[in-house]
Amino acid sequence: MNNILLLEDLPEIRSWLQVLIKQVFPDAHIHEAARVHDALGLVSAVKFQLALCDLGLPDGSGVDVVAALREHQPECQSVVVTIHDDDDHLFPALQAGAFGYLLKEQARELIAEQLKRMSAGEPPLSPSIARRVISHFAAQTRQQERPQNMPHVALTDRENEVLLRVAKGFTLPEIGVQLNLSRHTIADYVKQIYRKLNVSSRAEAALEAQRLGLFRRA
Amino acid sequence: MLHRLALAAATALLWLAVLLPAPAGAADALVIDKALSLNAAASAGPSPPPFTAAALPVTLPDTWDETRPRFEGSVWYRANFDRPAGTSAQELLGLYIERVCTNVEVYLNGQRIASGGRMSEPVTRNCHYPQLVTLPAALVHDQANVLELQVQGHALQRVASRLRAGGLSALKIAPLEQLAPEHASRLFWSISAAQIVAVMLAVMGGVMLGLAWMNRREVYLGYFGALALSWAVVSARLWWRDLPWDNGVTEFLICVAHAPIAAFAIQFLLSHADLRSRWIESALLMQCVLVPATLLIAGPNRLFVLSGLWYVLMVLEIGAVAALHLVVSWRRKRHEFWPMGALLAAALALLLFAIGGSHGPLAITPLPLMPIIVPLLFIGMSSRLLMVFARALRAAEEGRQSLEARIGQVTAEIEQNFAQLAELRVEQVTEKERKRIAGDLHDDLGAKLLTIVHTSESERISTLAREALEEMRLSVRGLTGKPMRLADALADWRAETVLRLGQANIEADWRSPPEETDQLLPARGFVQTTRILREAVSNIIKHSGASHCKVRCTISVGQFGLTVQDNGKGIPMELDGKLDRGHGMSSMKHRAKQMQGQCLVESGPGYGTVIRLTLPL
Repeated sequence: MNNILLLEDLPEIRSWLQVLIKQVFPDAHIHEAARVHDALGLVSAVKFQLALCDLGLPDGSGVDVVAALREHQPECQSVVVTIHDDDDHLFPALQAGAFGYLLKEQARELIAEQLKRMSAGEPPLSPSIARRVISHFAAQTRQQERPQNMPHVALTDRENEVLLRVAKGFTLPEIGVQLNLSRHTIADYVKQIYRKLNVSSRAEAALEAQRLGLFRRA
Repeated sequence: MLHRLALAAATALLWLAVLLPAPAGAADALVIDKALSLNAAASAGPSPPPFTAAALPVTLPDTWDETRPRFEGSVWYRANFDRPAGTSAQELLGLYIERVCTNVEVYLNGQRIASGGRMSEPVTRNCHYPQLVTLPAALVHDQANVLELQVQGHALQRVASRLRAGGLSALKIAPLEQLAPEHASRLFWSISAAQIVAVMLAVMGGVMLGLAWMNRREVYLGYFGALALSWAVVSARLWWRDLPWDNGVTEFLICVAHAPIAAFAIQFLLSHADLRSRWIESALLMQCVLVPATLLIAGPNRLFVLSGLWYVLMVLEIGAVAALHLVVSWRRKRHEFWPMGALLAAALALLLFAIGGSHGPLAITPLPLMPIIVPLLFIGMSSRLLMVFARALRAAEEGRQSLEARIGQVTAEIEQNFAQLAELRVEQVTEKERKRIAGDLHDDLGAKLLTIVHTSESERISTLAREALEEMRLSVRGLTGKPMRLADALADWRAETVLRLGQANIEADWRSPPEETDQLLPARGFVQTTRILREAVSNIIKHSGASHCKVRCTISVGQFGLTVQDNGKGIPMELDGKLDRGHGMSSMKHRAKQMQGQCLVESGPGYGTVIRLTLPL
């Protein structure tokens, strides 16, 4: 971990998070930003491996930074750090390419643990987020008129199975036991689900933009 | 429809008029068509004068204008006759005079036997009245009866129509009962029919005037009403015999009255075609003044010529305007062209015919058709006008009704839309306000609590702040959240509970009904239940020292049950035997009560704790 972006507007929380990140990644160089504008500037200048983004910022939403990172630095892992735990706030960030989320008020140890897991490729997945993902893909499948140029992103049966079980309230380790899968395999499925959610959301957004006439066909 | 009926009636009358007089002459009546005539001296008395050599033999019918032009006054006629063949002395004979103008007195064998009325000015006007005189049986000899008639008449130049110039028709002598029907028929057609039609016309005119009064926009109805009424008034010339003024005044008035009639007709035609001309209106007014003026200036001796000129001029005016009217209706209202065209053509033809009869070379018609047929045309016209008017009225009424219905419909739609909009607006505003409150809570209160959580030195304070933050979030969720499916709520609870217990190294055993349920849980119910469950799990983790936790969910009709059981050391008893309040039991119970449910806690030292929550759905 060389470069980590920390986007947070409250100084106390930011310094607290900085300390926490230092604990988890002692070698990392932390770039701090308090505003979306500053963060976007950093994104165009520095190559990041990890980004922790708050959502509600004075000059916009952290979702934009997540989207910019996804666009320009696809290998960077974006994690949403927020006070909002409801899927109405989280889901757009996940669609934009966030790889997971941390709830700010959780205990330091818990956050550190989750951060470690995420950077190791084990993102969390709550039942409400799983339900949103399920309905997102169901709506995509229902759409009859799919343009030729729109990539068809579909979940595999296993991914679906994992999603359905998460949606029913089973934890990832439980599902691993139920499906006789290793912890890493389950984590891979979840990563794939996040990735496909991002890809299909971007395609959808492009289609929507085309429909609204934002882009002109060449 | 009505005007067709009227036309048919007019045609029928015409045919009857042509057919009726025909059988009268067939009987063995004695027709006297030769007589001696003698212009009476102004000073002559009322008795028959001696017929000297000055007597002029004439052929009946005698038209004064031909035999004694410009003669004004009294003419004596004398004819001899024998009792008609085939009649007996007892049989009552009659003398029938089809036309005598202006008045007559009859002498038989020197005896005055009949008088038509006043013989001096104002002379009784009998021109249109056929005369039937009963010949007293005692005075009639078998042979060489002397019939003398004194006829009071006017020169053609001093009347406004040839029909009222002096003259005498052929005399017919026959049994009275044979002559009576002929006389009655003639009287009916020349007088009664005209009277009936005039009354009809007057009524119709009154109705039209009333209609025009009620509907000021339909000016033409008014003009037509005035036309019909004035025509009806002027037709009194046919039957009104004894006027209080002399012939000159009467003829003058008759002639003058035609000017407003023509004006009304022209104005009617113009307004019916939606045309209007100030110029024509003032010209018509001027004409109404000019007619009497010229007549007065020209004097009574030129009345006939002048009135003829005026009549022709008026008919030409009406003809021109009628043509204009037809042109306009051809362009604008094609459906009105043919009926109006037919009616106007017939009326104009009749007017020309009438002028031909009264002033021109046309012979005097056997019957005065004009006063009957023209009014019938008028009635046909007015019924057509009324029909059009009624149709327009009905169309307007229907239009009004449909408009009203449409307005009602649109009003209802608008009200409905408005109600929907208002509802939507209220919803939107409420939603927006909730979001704003939620945002404020998160941004202000949330940020401060968060700062406390992460900066406080005391673990207790940061835990309290964290709990407060969770509480706040739940409150916001209860404020803004939509009802959620019970199955989803169960999944959320399960994930959280199993995760927390797992992190505390407590074995979790969660069982909920496997079947899918579509029951909905209000946001508040979800939030309160989440708090209760969270509190229960926190208690287990913090205080119970349990190694195992069993959670059971049951969904039955209208009721939801949740049981949380651990194998810990249980809740210690207070001195009064009640359970420790410090473990949040009372707040759990309070929350359950808020949802009309209940929360039972069973516990005892050494055998764990059971929390049973039941909620109505």
